[in-house]
Amino acid sequence: MKGERVGRWLAAARVLALVAVVLIVASGLAEGPRAVRIGTDVDAQSLDPRLQRDTTAYRLNNLIYDGLIQLDENLTPRPDLALSWRQPDEKTWVFTMRRDARFHDGRPVTPDDVVFTFKTILDPALNARFRSLYEPIETVEAVGGDQIRFTLKTPYAPLLNYLDLGIVPKDVGARDLNANPLGSGPFRFSRWERGGRIVLTANDGYFAGRPAIDEIDMIVVPDNTARAQALEAGDLDLIMSPLSPQDVSRLAADRRFRHVHLPGISITYFNFNCRHPVLSDPTVRRAVAMLIDQNTIVQQIYGGIDVPATSLLIPSLRWSYTPEIRQPAYDVDGARGLLAEAGWKPGADGVLAKNGQRLSFTLATHAEDSNRIQTIELSQNTLNQVGIDAKASVTDWPAFIGSVQTGNYDLALLGWTILVDPDRAMYGQLTSSGSLNFGRYANPQVDALLARGRAVGDLAARAEAYQAAARIIAEELPYYVLSYAGFDAFTTSRLSGFAADARGFLRGLAAP
Amino acid sequence: MSVRALQRNPSLCCGGLLVSAVLFVAIFHGWLAPYTPEQMDMTRRLAPPGAAHWLGTDNFGRDLATRLAWGAEVSLSIALGATAAAAIIGTGVGLLCGYCRGAVDLVLMRIVDIVLGFPSLILVMALVAVLGPGPRNLAVALAAVYWTQYARVARAAALSERERDYVLAAEAIGVSTLRILFRHLLPNIAGPLLVLATLGVGVAIVSESGLSFLGLGVQPPTPSWGWTLAYGLRYLRSDPWMSTAAGLTIMITVAGFNLLGDGLRDLLDPRAAAAPTGRWRLPGLQRPAF
Amino acid sequence: MRYLLTRLGLFVPMLAGVVSVVFLLVHLIPGDPARVLLGEDASPQAVAQLRHNLGLDLPLPSQFLRYLGHLLHGDLGVSMFQNAPVLDLVLARLPATLELAAFAIVVSVCLGVSLGCAAAVFHGSALDLLCLVFAQLGISVTVFWLGILLMLAFSVELHWLPAIGRGVPLSSAFAAALEGRPAALFDSLAHLAMPAVALGMQGAAIICRLVRSGMLEALASDYVRTARAKGVHPFAVTFRHALRNALLPAVTMIGWQFGNLLGGAVLTEGIFGWPGLGQLAVGAFSQRDLPLMQGIVLTFALVFGLVTLATDLAYGLIDPRIGSR
Repeated sequence: MKGERVGRWLAAARVLALVAVVLIVASGLAEGPRAVRIGTDVDAQSLDPRLQRDTTAYRLNNLIYDGLIQLDENLTPRPDLALSWRQPDEKTWVFTMRRDARFHDGRPVTPDDVVFTFKTILDPALNARFRSLYEPIETVEAVGGDQIRFTLKTPYAPLLNYLDLGIVPKDVGARDLNANPLGSGPFRFSRWERGGRIVLTANDGYFAGRPAIDEIDMIVVPDNTARAQALEAGDLDLIMSPLSPQDVSRLAADRRFRHVHLPGISITYFNFNCRHPVLSDPTVRRAVAMLIDQNTIVQQIYGGIDVPATSLLIPSLRWSYTPEIRQPAYDVDGARGLLAEAGWKPGADGVLAKNGQRLSFTLATHAEDSNRIQTIELSQNTLNQVGIDAKASVTDWPAFIGSVQTGNYDLALLGWTILVDPDRAMYGQLTSSGSLNFGRYANPQVDALLARGRAVGDLAARAEAYQAAARIIAEELPYYVLSYAGFDAFTTSRLSGFAADARGFLRGLAAP
Repeated sequence: MSVRALQRNPSLCCGGLLVSAVLFVAIFHGWLAPYTPEQMDMTRRLAPPGAAHWLGTDNFGRDLATRLAWGAEVSLSIALGATAAAAIIGTGVGLLCGYCRGAVDLVLMRIVDIVLGFPSLILVMALVAVLGPGPRNLAVALAAVYWTQYARVARAAALSERERDYVLAAEAIGVSTLRILFRHLLPNIAGPLLVLATLGVGVAIVSESGLSFLGLGVQPPTPSWGWTLAYGLRYLRSDPWMSTAAGLTIMITVAGFNLLGDGLRDLLDPRAAAAPTGRWRLPGLQRPAF
Repeated sequence: MRYLLTRLGLFVPMLAGVVSVVFLLVHLIPGDPARVLLGEDASPQAVAQLRHNLGLDLPLPSQFLRYLGHLLHGDLGVSMFQNAPVLDLVLARLPATLELAAFAIVVSVCLGVSLGCAAAVFHGSALDLLCLVFAQLGISVTVFWLGILLMLAFSVELHWLPAIGRGVPLSSAFAAALEGRPAALFDSLAHLAMPAVALGMQGAAIICRLVRSGMLEALASDYVRTARAKGVHPFAVTFRHALRNALLPAVTMIGWQFGNLLGGAVLTEGIFGWPGLGQLAVGAFSQRDLPLMQGIVLTFALVFGLVTLATDLAYGLIDPRIGSR
């Protein structure tokens, strides 16, 4: 009968509805793969740890590969592939390796792989970007079944900090590690959509335990503002510096996101060309330094993300840092007085001059960093007001770095990154024969102090040497350090347990 | 009479008015601007419009109205310079090709093809990198990319006009090629080229702002609309006024030039505006496909 | 047919010219890829060594001949920075750029034609005025400004559309949709929407004006008036005759837009994180990755030349008055 049929249909509909609800709820509860989407500013170029040269590659390689050690959040070396190490004498290091590490294709990680990695990175033909860090290594050899011995040409205290280099398998046949990496780390390489994203998946057989996160998507969004907006739109779970200050303050106030702010390991600094006719005079350099409004630049232009620098010593490297060594502070009247005392008088065109030489130079920086461009613009304005004829020059990175490295500049604004050891910030840059001494600064006292800092093993002695050198540098000012970079990371609630480190490395995501 | 003119050709009048206003500001910015473009005040950054600063301030606390007024000279001189150079070179080449035909046409048009075969932004970036930064080099680089439009239009026009009686007559009495080109042909095809040039100024203004967005425009602290827009966009979420002011300035100026171009086109050849069939009469497309 | 062959023949000198000019330009630009590769902490010896390895210290003519030799074997070289063959890198990105360009054209045509027709049909009304204003502002807007504003409105504030990246490739999305799985298509379109609108706005404005004037002229023409007098429905007449007129500029527009989009979508690609050729080109330029830059420019020249050819042929087909020139 009709009524019966209707009744039966209704009953069926009710059952179906119930089933549908259960299914929907169940599908919501059933967890898909836990994938974390990270935004980055540049696409990686090489995923071979020996050839890596951009921050995206450093971070990814840190997840794909293991090193002998890893630097923890305090930048202290911790065991990774190496279980322990000792120094029989000041030119020898011996590491004992673990036996249960395996590459992602199943083969075990052996001392021979370590030897191979270091031998190849030292090979000039490979043109590894960071080869110079490992230059003092004379030989690397496998000893016994599980030990590796490094023999150095000269004592080289910073070495341990650089041994987080990813270890590659010694024999990969025709496989191109640049595009198809093979490591032993907590995550394995899955695929690479050039310009778009790189995907890593969890390594089930990882010796420290399979990561809780199943998949990592490193997504390329070049524009800093767009990356912040993508986080807000829910398209990303984690973003890190570089970020524009406006976005940082807005995101910091947004309760949906966790904000991690750490002192970083980079500096932004002014590099004086000590061969310039005017800038070769330390008094002029001092006056210029006093005309750079550090606090305003860091607060207003960098949005308070960075920290005004006191000297070339970096706060993150706590063992070597002291705030007592200070560069000259911002003091416009003091600068005017200093220049007047030194004999600089305004000429007919209003520009300071002495002995027929005008106080004129060009401030240069590169076009990719708008904060640096603004810093130059502000500084130039202040310098002009005092009677210094300062001009600005902004070119793209290759042109800029080319002119700086060949000494064709007056005053350049740039930075140094990955300063995990004071040696890295000072040795190559400020020893008279250093290959990174673009301004050709020469002071034998500084040379001796920096050589000592590199050679002695005792941390206290090293700290003393570096502090003495920094004191001289803060006086003579071949470098005027503008700021210590800050590091910011924002995460959504999906990444509640994540602990970032100052380099932006993501090992925290490997937690089991 | 002016109301009549307005009704008959509103584009020309509105466009003319806008362009005149912008040119006036560009020329007389020194008298008009209340401040100087270098006056920074870091305590008053990114202020919205107010009594002291009618359009607000920029990211260094400089008066935005002043910066935009001075920037008018910079941006317009680059745009006008680039357009003029492109128009002159392009028209010359196009006339030569259209009139002489044969080998000259073949070779010169291949050069046009080669230039068109480049992605325009990359070509401009490469030229700016080779020539160095600065407003003059920027204008040269832009001209080097845009001259092809004029060449094509001039060529098509010349090809079409060259069979006309007045040209044939001039040839018959032995007038030199150069005279024919400049005294006879050029005035008759100047119309669409003028329209093209007017529209081209707008394109050049926007190109300059695009290059500044990439950090490759004029050097700081030279005021330019492109820099102001590019910097303003970084502060868009918290302080939208800077980018809005610059963006609107650019948009209104470009619209002014476009209206002027439309008006000129309607004035010079009213039928052409509505007849999309004549190949060379097609409205001035910057980067036409043929 | 002869026209086609002539045009194809003219391709060769064009490509040869492009190859030579880009080689020259790229080597004239200040800045050394070896320095960029090795970073600011490279020693002069390392830089010199790398330059030697890359063959950059050879005299320019011999470098050029080397490059030409490779080119004639179909080898575009290997990117210095990405250690992958240039051809692979370019082909990987080309579909993304073509997809965006094509969709931007679709947006501009649909928007422009519909607005233009509406304006012509309702000539003199508020709609007409609105379309004219749109046409003026649309051309005058700065594309990257519009892009950022769109992203702000639709992604960040309204959460309607994804902010960045490319969705499922359109071709596979269509295939999936035909098989009854439309989700992929929605994903594709959601990612395409904003960049395509930002890029297509100018084209839409121009097409709107052209279509409007074309239709106005057609509506006023004798042909249409006669047909109307005879009692034929005005719409039928209008659309058949007027749209044909309007098609011509639309077809030309497509070629114009394509060139514009391939070369000028760079900024939009950067803002929206769209993995296309434009961004690859800017990246290659900013690193002085010489083989990659050369490869991209060559690809662009080829694609653009083919599109121009196709457009001209289409134009010739549509307008019978244009014979072969």
